[in-house]
Amino acid sequence: MAAPITAATSPLSPASRVQVMCSMLNPTSASFSRQTASFPSIRLRPVPSRFQALSCSAKQDTIDKVCEIVKNQLAVDEGTAVSGETKFVDLGADSLDTVEIVMGLEEAFQITVDESSAQVIQTVEDAAVLIDKLVAEKDA
Amino acid sequence: MAFTMRAVKVPPNSASLEEARHRVFDFFRQACRAIPSIMEIYNLDDVVTPSQLRSTIAKEIRKNQGVTNPKVIDMLLFKGMEELGNITEHAKQRHHVIGQYVVGQKGLVQDMEKDQGSSDFLKKFYTSNYS
Repeated sequence: MAAPITAATSPLSPASRVQVMCSMLNPTSASFSRQTASFPSIRLRPVPSRFQALSCSAKQDTIDKVCEIVKNQLAVDEGTAVSGETKFVDLGADSLDTVEIVMGLEEAFQITVDESSAQVIQTVEDAAVLIDKLVAEKDA
Repeated sequence: MAFTMRAVKVPPNSASLEEARHRVFDFFRQACRAIPSIMEIYNLDDVVTPSQLRSTIAKEIRKNQGVTNPKVIDMLLFKGMEELGNITEHAKQRHHVIGQYVVGQKGLVQDMEKDQGSSDFLKKFYTSNYS
């Protein structure tokens, strides 16, 4: 599901595209080659209409993805419940951790969060709302 | 010439601890945004991921978590900017970047704890003949 978003967002250079795939899927070398081989077919599909449909209902997907990234970043126990209302501070994040999470989200969603917006992000919900807004702005 | 030009631009000192703290976050953001190009310049896709590099940078910053003097923070930021500039302008070789930021935590880099209390003699004594 992530690959069409990658293809639709921007015409990245091959190296950057490879990096994005690597960071988002985190494959081994073998599966990495396979992903590279399958990339052109993804690009040939009618991505715009599908992407629009996807972005209309991206809310819960965005929150789930943000929760996953936050878990990975903070090395939280898998059993810990991370929901939209969870504060980063409650998970043990300090201010630098919060900035690091925002940078990770920027990379995962291919957006740029300006400084004033980044400062107000305290919960998963805040991050998801901002990401949805920025992705919508970029597609417009 | 680029190095000479860059050396001239020294930002003014932070007026307060809060401003210095703000600049630290700006520096961290700038470093994180440079990670994709650094990985492309030095061909690091096989040995590290962007998130690992980001964590390494955060770890380096966190080493100085206890510094509260804005002047010291400004000096450390200047050194950090210099290091970032050296990396992005290809003043380092691939093995330097790998040795310092990829595998450095596994024994290549001597990680001196920033102990404020020990004298220089004791620090050197503990370090023995390393480097």
